[in-house]
Order: sequence, then structure tokens, then C-alpha cells
Amino acid sequence: MSHTVLVCDDAIFMRTMISDILAQAGFEVVGEAETGREAVEKYRQLKPDLVTMDIVMPDMGGIEAVREICKDDADARILMCSAMGQQALVVEAIQAGAKDFVVKPFQPSRVLEAVQRVLG
Amino acid sequence: MDLSRYAALFLTESREQLSACGQALLDWERTPGAVEPVVSLFRAMHTFKGMAAAMGYSNLTELAHRTESVLDLLRSDPAAGRELIDLFFRITDALEQGVGRAMEGGDAKLDFAPLLAELDQASVSTTPTGSWAIPAGAAEPSPAPAAGGAREVRVTIRSGAAMKGARAMLAIRRAESLGSVSAVRPQPTTFEQDDFDGRFSFMLQSPADENEIATALRAAGEVAEVAFGSAAAEPAAEAAGRGRQIRIDLRRLDALMNQVGELVVAKGRLAELAEASDSPELKAVAARIGRVTGDLHGEVVQARMTPVWQVFDRFPRVVRDLARQLGRRVRFEVEGEETQLDRAILDDLGEPLIHLLRNAVDHGIERPAARKKAGKPEEGLIRISASSDRTTVLIRVIDDGKGIDRKRIVPEAIAAGLLPAGSTEVPDDVLLRVLSQPGFSTAEKVTDVSGRGMGMDAVVSKVRTLGGSVEVQTAPGSGTTFTLRLPMTLAIVRALLARVGEERYAIPLAGIAETVEFLPDRVAALEGREAYVLRETLVPTVRLRDRLGVTGARPAGRVPAVILEVGGRRAALVVDALVGQQEIVVEPFDAPKGTLPVFSGATILGDGAPALIVDPAALV
Repeated sequence: MSHTVLVCDDAIFMRTMISDILAQAGFEVVGEAETGREAVEKYRQLKPDLVTMDIVMPDMGGIEAVREICKDDADARILMCSAMGQQALVVEAIQAGAKDFVVKPFQPSRVLEAVQRVLG
Repeated sequence: MDLSRYAALFLTESREQLSACGQALLDWERTPGAVEPVVSLFRAMHTFKGMAAAMGYSNLTELAHRTESVLDLLRSDPAAGRELIDLFFRITDALEQGVGRAMEGGDAKLDFAPLLAELDQASVSTTPTGSWAIPAGAAEPSPAPAAGGAREVRVTIRSGAAMKGARAMLAIRRAESLGSVSAVRPQPTTFEQDDFDGRFSFMLQSPADENEIATALRAAGEVAEVAFGSAAAEPAAEAAGRGRQIRIDLRRLDALMNQVGELVVAKGRLAELAEASDSPELKAVAARIGRVTGDLHGEVVQARMTPVWQVFDRFPRVVRDLARQLGRRVRFEVEGEETQLDRAILDDLGEPLIHLLRNAVDHGIERPAARKKAGKPEEGLIRISASSDRTTVLIRVIDDGKGIDRKRIVPEAIAAGLLPAGSTEVPDDVLLRVLSQPGFSTAEKVTDVSGRGMGMDAVVSKVRTLGGSVEVQTAPGSGTTFTLRLPMTLAIVRALLARVGEERYAIPLAGIAETVEFLPDRVAALEGREAYVLRETLVPTVRLRDRLGVTGARPAGRVPAVILEVGGRRAALVVDALVGQQEIVVEPFDAPKGTLPVFSGATILGDGAPALIVDPAALV
């Protein structure tokens, strides 16, 4: 059975791109979230195998969402999606419980490597 | 054991160590009393000795060993060895040449007797004067294992990895899943900084064995190396810090790149066919192949990226020797040596950069007395810096010398017909154009030093063939800056295809600002040249058809113009028609004599036809 994914990003463009990359690699994108709050709610509801999480989102940012999700489920597999220059935020997200990260602009191979590490 | 398997590795690593020796010697010479340079030199020599011994090169080993012994004595009193620095320089050179000869099977024929005799002399006169004064951290004993068998773990993140600090944090999280982590060095706050170099260590108390720990840490991704144990292995870790790459025969990588190049061209053709077809399956497959090819290309380019220090490393020595020879005092600084550039470009940059550095020492920096008189510090400054943005690498050679002498060059250029008579105000870019005319050289230019090797014309044309451009800024009395603007990678670029007459020409997108319709009523004159009115500004026009001397029927009706932009200068290139965009594979190009200097290379288009690549920098 393929792994299920929740894609969280406030930009449709980025969500589409990530979904395409993952779908092509055989993952099943079961949900998308535009805000941190939505991410937390959908995580509880869908219990996906993997979450991709943008850092900067309106209405609860990605790091806060990671904290919330990990409060319920310390083993949540969350992959942070970051832009260049956000290293301090990525470090914070990892301390909050994120399991790996990728840096934009995404190279599909890099994204899939990171996903394998998170799921491995 | 078959040593030949290790030969290539020995060659590169021993060069790294000897290059570290050279660097340490330069530092030592600058600060004769400092201990650190001697310690670095000792370490590098020691590492080299170990490798040479492993390869069975006994003469190289002997020389390195005897040198190391003398250095050992000098560690306690570096200033006592200042007279020996020259000898150590000569030894380093001898070892470097010796490495090459030894690898051709000639170690037994190496004769280091004169150098060894000098070393003997030196060790007699160098008596230890007291206890060792090795700075903390250099060779300190390994930290005592903490109670309960905690061990030190040292991790190196791959040098090309993004956000090394965050990656380090992931590795530490993985370690925490195995046991208890303490004494993380450097401070974890360092991990939030962009200049963190990817090397860190910590103490781990865990029942897991070294294999399990290494596997767990590597699972964090982008981990180049995991090592255990004491800090005594520091020199090796340092070498690893510089060479955190797998060594691949460059020819393999070039072959791979050529294959990918072919694939990109074929992909372009496939995309055209798919476009013209009605089959959705074909379109889907073509799109997928397009994406995969793009990724593959990106990866290969990434694999060819090389930090510029691999070429910059020899420059301090070049500048030092030159300054001595010419009686100048020069401080030499290097900036941005981790900046990455396509190996193929980097390899071709050594000669042009050495030429610019020679010029800077010979014509830029004044003699100490003259500098003093001009109210400047007697020691001149030459700096080479590298930096990059997304697609371009800038390399600057900066000196604080006297600037290019217009008073002498302008009259000669007028006499040679390179400038109109009566020219007075000659801007920097025109000056560079004069200096880079083949064969143009003022009397003083041809000295023993600068007259050797390539001329300014060769520098400029070399950089152009690499798809780059050269700019100069110079001011009397305060110095000269040469700026080389280079593509981060050559090999494959996106280009606009334009048609003139029967031929198609490729224009790299990097040099194009926009394309417009060329409206005849917007033609004006600018300083006697034809210009085009583009939104309130005047842009000089270049009619490619006339420039190339193409005859035959001109296209009826309106034609397009490509607005070229390089380094802030623009030109409107008028062509017959635009025929699309394509990724092109840049082929090495040795222009036959008489070819107009407006092309930087050649390529084969998707349909198999050849095309010349227009050099925007030559037209603006």
C-alpha cells in the first residue's frame, strides 16, 4: 500500500509542485492544508504517513504546527520545506520535532531522498 | 597489495598536503614568531610522510621525515627558524616535483642529498630552547573518556549540502535516539549560522557499537564522514574538511556530461516531435523524459562544481615570489575561496588570473619608496575575491596601486589607430578594449614578468570563450579592479535562436534583456552610430545581417530586435526572425583566423544542424 501524505503550504503553486513530485513517485496525497491550524486539524483527522510543512504560513506558522502535531504524536514524520536563508527556523523546527528538511528551489530527487530518510 | 589503485588518490592528497605546507610557510614568513604556522607545517609534512611511506616512496619519505624532525625542534621557538623558511620552501617544491617523478616510477632516482645536507646543518644550529609551546587544540591529548564509556563522535557534513547547521542538528537528533549526547562542539547556536562549515563533534554515551552509530548518523542525510575517538586524528579531519568529496576521475565526469549533453539535445528534438503530434501518450512520455533529463543535467552540473580554492591555492606563492623578484611589498588576500564553479571553467581560469595578478604586482603596486611618498602604506594590497549568485560567478582581482596609466596608453593607442585622434576622456571600458587589442602593449608592459605568458587580449578572449566577460575599473593613485563575470557552468545553456539569411544563430538567454519589434521610426543617432529608442533611452543598434556581411533578400516587413544586456551595457541586435528557444550544448570553439569576434562557440541544434553562438559581451 502506498504511503499517504499531507501537503501543507499556503501557495497553491508549491502544493501542486510537491504533490506532483510525490504522486509521481507513487505516494498518495490525501490532503492539503493552507495554514498551520488547518495542518494540525487535518493531521488529526487523516493520520498521514508523511507531512510536508512550509515554514511560513498564515494563521499559525509551520513550526508551531510541528509542535502541536508532535504533542499528540511524537513519531509524526514531518518534512520541512524551507527557503534559502531560513536556517535558524529550520533548526528550530527540528528541535520542535521535524524529521528532515528540503530547501527550495526543490529538485525532485532531493525531495524524494529526504522523504525516504523520513520514512526509513 | 596493488598500490596503483591508490596512486590517483595519493597524487591529489599529497598535493593538498604540500599546498598546505606552502600556505603555512607564507603565514610563518609573515609572522615569524607565531607557533601556529609551524605546527600546521609540521602536521602537513607528517601527513605527507605517512602517505609517501605507504606508497613505498622511500626518498620522498626520507626528505619529509628529516624536515619534520627539524620542524619538531622549531615548534618551541619558531622565530629561531626564520632563516630556514626559504629552505622549507625549496623542500616543498622538491617534494612536489618528486611526487610526479615518483609516480612515474622514479622515486629511486630522486636525489635530495643537497637538501638533506642543508637540513643537517639546520638541525645542528637549532637546539631546543625549552618546553614545547603548542597552542591549545593543536595536539592536545584526547579528552579522557567520560565515565561509563562515552566516546567522542566527529561528524562532517558534505561540503555541498544546503543548511549544514540544520543537517547537523538532524544528526544530533539521530544520536540522541541512541543514547545520551553531551559536549556538543561547536556550540549548537553555531548551527543557526550560515557560515557553519559542517564539522562538529560530541560525546555519546550509548550501548550501540561504532557501526550502528555511523549508520544512524548517516541516515540523517548529507553526512560525508563519521569518525570516532580522540582528537589526535585532527590532521586527518582537517584534510577531510578540505576534501569532503568523493574523488572521481575527471574524464568520467566529462564523458557523463557529454552524454547528458547529447540527451538534452535529443530531448529537445523529442519535445518538438511531441508538440507536433496528436498522441497524448507521446506528449506525456516526452514531458517526463524532459523533466528527468533536466534533473539529471542538474545533478551532473552539481557534481562538476569545484571550489575555487583548488586553483586559487597556488596564487599566494606566485604573488610572493613575484613581489620579491620585483622589489615590491605585497599583502595578498583571498576571499570566497569556497565559491563553486564548473570544473571545466575553473581549469581554464588559472592562466588568465595569474596574468592579472602579475600585472597587479608589476604595474599596479608601486615600489615601497614611491608608495610612502604618495602617502600610502609601504605594503601594497592585492586581493582576489570570488562570489556567486544564482547563475553567475564574479571573480575580482583588486590592487591598491597606481592605477592604469592613461597618460601613456592613450597617446600610443591614438598612434596605433585604436582611438580617434584627440581622444582625451577615455572611459574604463574603452581603455580595456584598447588594452585587449592583440599585440597592443606599451613599452613598459613587456618586462621579464608581464611579458611572459598571455597578454591582456588572451585574458579577455579566454574569458569570452568561457561565456564570460571582463570589466575594469581604475583610478589614478588608488588602484585597479578587474572583474571577471563567468557563468557558473558552461556546457549547456538556454539560448534564443535567431535567423539571419539562411543561417540560425544561438544567443544565450543570460545576455538577453528582452526582445522587441524593430520599428523603423524609432531609429536615431547616438555619437555617430545608429541607435534605437527603447522607452525613452537610446540603445546602440547592431544589424547582424550587415555585421556578418550576409547578402541576399532582406526579409519583407518588420523584423525583431534582441536587446542584449551585459554588465549594465546594452545593444539592440537586429535579426531577420526569431525561431524559438532551445537548450544548447556549447562546443569548444577555436575560431579560425578572420572570424568576426562576435561568436563565443558553436553548437549542434536539435535537428542536427550546426549553429554559431553569439557572444552578447562582444556586441554591447
